[in-house]
Order: sequence, then C-alpha cells, then structure tokens
Amino acid sequence: MADGHRAAYLAFDRFPSSKGSAVHIRHMAAELFDRYDGGLLCVLGGGGLPAYQREGNVEIVRFDAVVPNLLDRAEAFSAWAAEQLAPHRDSLELCHVRDPWGALPALDTGARLVYEANGLPSIELPYAWPLAAPTTLGKIRELERHCLTEAAAVVVPSYVIRRAVIDRGAAPDSVHLVPNGADPAPAGVPRPEAAPGRYLIYVGALQPWQGVDVLLRAFARLADLTDLSLVVCSSVSANRARPLRRLAERLEIADRVRWHHMLPHAQVAAWLTHAELSVAPLTATPRNLEQGCSPIKVWESMAAGTAVVASDLPVIREVLGDLGRLVPPDRPAELARAIRVMLEYPDACRDLGRRARRHIEDGFTWHHARNRLAAVYETVAGH
Amino acid sequence: MTPCTVTTGFFTLGKCGVMAVAGCPACGRPLCASHITESGLCPECAAARNQVGHPAAAAAYRRRAHRHRTAAQYQDAGWYAGFDSYDRAAFDPGAGAQQDYLDDGNDALVDS
Repeated sequence: MADGHRAAYLAFDRFPSSKGSAVHIRHMAAELFDRYDGGLLCVLGGGGLPAYQREGNVEIVRFDAVVPNLLDRAEAFSAWAAEQLAPHRDSLELCHVRDPWGALPALDTGARLVYEANGLPSIELPYAWPLAAPTTLGKIRELERHCLTEAAAVVVPSYVIRRAVIDRGAAPDSVHLVPNGADPAPAGVPRPEAAPGRYLIYVGALQPWQGVDVLLRAFARLADLTDLSLVVCSSVSANRARPLRRLAERLEIADRVRWHHMLPHAQVAAWLTHAELSVAPLTATPRNLEQGCSPIKVWESMAAGTAVVASDLPVIREVLGDLGRLVPPDRPAELARAIRVMLEYPDACRDLGRRARRHIEDGFTWHHARNRLAAVYETVAGH
Repeated sequence: MTPCTVTTGFFTLGKCGVMAVAGCPACGRPLCASHITESGLCPECAAARNQVGHPAAAAAYRRRAHRHRTAAQYQDAGWYAGFDSYDRAAFDPGAGAQQDYLDDGNDALVDS
C-alpha cells in the first residue's frame, strides 16, 4: 500500500466466527471501509484462518501467536497491533476499536478514536476467570476509563451500556447510541431438513449469563407437550455445551433437546423462521443489568418473524418493547408458563412475530445501523 | 481428552497432563498450548535442533518493546496500569471457570 490506510478497525476477537460479535464486526467494519475506501482490519486468528488477506483495498491481518495466558495474549495483541499500525501512522485518520487492547495502540497513532463499547472486560472477565482479583479488575477498569475518556466518540448499542460508559468517564455528548440490527430472513426460506415437528429455539452462546440452564429447567416442566422439542443453536463448540448437556440428562429431557453447534449464519435464519417460539432467557446478573448488551439473538428472531419470549430486563425491553412476551428472569416456572400460554394461542403468536418483523424492517436492519454509524463518523470527521 | 505428555517439574517429575492441542511433528507426542515451541515442535525436539525458547517469547519481546515505546509520557496507560505476575496468574489456562473451554480459544472478551 503505497499511501497507507486512512482507517483501521481493531478487535481482540476472532473474525470471522459464528458468534454475534462477528456479525457486528462484519457490518461495522464494512461501513468504515466503505467510507474510507478500504483500510486495515486487525483481529485474532487461529482455527485455520489465514494470517494475512487482501480483499480489494481492505487488508486483513490476524494475530495468531500462541500465548496461553489471556492477559499476556491481550497485551501481546496490543503490541502486535501497534506494529501493524506503525506503517500507516501518517495517513491514519480514524481507528475503530472494541476493547482497551485495541484502543491503546490506536490512541498511540494520534488518529481519531471511535470506541465501540459492546461490553466491558472489567465486568465480563470475572465470569470466565473467577480468580481475577478486584485490584486486577480495577486496573482493567482504569484502562477502560483512559480509553473511553480519550475517544472522540463512543458507540453503544443500548442505554444500559451508555450509562456504564458515562460512569467510566466518557463525556455524555460523545456517546452515541447505535442499536444492533438484523436483516429480515428472506421470504420462503425452506424448513431445515433436520427440523423436528414443533420446536422452541435458543440461538447464541452458552455463557452463564445467557440463562440456558433456566431454559432447560423450564423445558423440563413442559414434559406433557410430547410433540415439542427444544433446538439449541450454539455459537460455540460442543465442548462448551457439556455441562448443559449433563443438566439436560439429569432433567430427563436429553432426548427432546437437539444441539447444533456453530451453524453458518444463513442456516440459523432458517431454524429461527420455522420455530414456534424463540427464547432469550438472559439472567439478572451484573453483566446484563450494569454493563448491558443488545442481544443479536432477539434482533434476529424478530427479523425472522418468530415470536420471542425473553427475560424482563431493561436491555430486552429496549429491543423488544411490547413486541414479545417478557417474563421475570431466572424463574423456570414462570418461563414455562409463558411458553405454554404462547403455544396455546398460535394466532396471537404469529401476529406478534409479524409485527416484530415489521418493526425491524422499518428502522432496525443493519442498513439502518450502518447509517447511524455513518452519522457518528461524520461527526467525528467534522471536528 | 488426550493429555500433554511433556515431562514437567524440577525435583518431582511428572507429565504435564493438560489437554493436548497438537502433536510434535518430530516425535509425535501430544502437546498442550503452552508446550508447543515456536517451531511447532515439543521442547525436547526443539532443544535437540538448538531452537530453544518459550512459545510466548516472541510475543513477550514485542510486549516489552511496546511498553518501552509507550512509556515515554507520564500519562501513558501502558505504563501506569502495568499488570504484575499476581494479576496475570488469574488468567493462566488452568485458572478459567470451565476447563472444558480450554480447547476452544476463549479469546473473545465480549459477546453481544
């Protein structure tokens, strides 16, 4: 690249992958690279992904060093990203990042920083790494504060995260709301061949805050509905489902639960479209209540025209409004009752699905999200 | 699960036992993520070829260089929020909540 890139997108995330974060990166990075006529994408590799790719004016570089310790890996990623950005220092105008480890090297270049805060490591890390000390999380929080304060704009997908980033030092007028989106499933998408007769569906990852265990317990209370199955489309590998599969066996529902792992995104839309109901049983944990999220599973269920039963949390109310059925979180009996009632009224269910789909088409497709992001870039570039 | 069979320990020796993620191309023994050397061999085969060094050495070198570069100003986050060995220990591969996660590249910090 003779003149160097004008834009860079950095994410301490494997890309592409079957997780919701990858869908997000795909759309946000596409908007950035469209606007700046190409750019540099620095992401995590591994899993057979190439370390280097060139797609038109977009260069993709992947960090694939084997560093067993997560904190070491995050810092090594920072240093590696700094090396990748160095040749473009003179031409870089804007860096878009998703975490402190991408933000630190980006700040070092002097380019304007757009920090997309979908989550905060100081809140999420303890779930996967329970031995992390409060002082360590304090240091991570301090890094977040530094990056959020220095960012020219902070993009958040929900009001709950907006509050959390302002709490960490982001200037309120620099925080912009860009809700996630979903593209409506094409009409007439065929029913998956392996689909059971009637099924409920859960789509997403299997971290404890997702509440899949609550859903399994609720499903066990629907044993009398013998023609009903539960389909779990997990975005992570079968190994991570092991504890949940054991729970399904203990609850004696294993033969009625179908597991699919890391299905391509296009296939998930077909599974969603033909489900009776989609369930988003998020739990009332600090991750969902204090940090917030904007669950792509709910957006995509709405876009597929499938009625959603979800936990009654502020983050869900923001997305779903009155276009779904809300139930108290962490209550399997309440969830089972809501599912049962919804199944009793299939016409009302279909109507709810149709209205949700129209709501997405009218204002919350990825096209809309990209337009909102473009407006943020416009503001940042104009300063 | 195939355990890593690299010999570990200083006085009392044993096998590593962490889940293997690859095999040594030279001797075929199963290796976990922390025992693959930069050349992809097991530590013994690498040493026999005079290619010693920890797999994370290159990354650690880059990290040190980055800290050095970014510690020029008092305000630099890379300088004042430095993590010590106590902070790092909680993020070692064996310290995660779910050992089943080990083979799955639990890299993503956040997920929508």
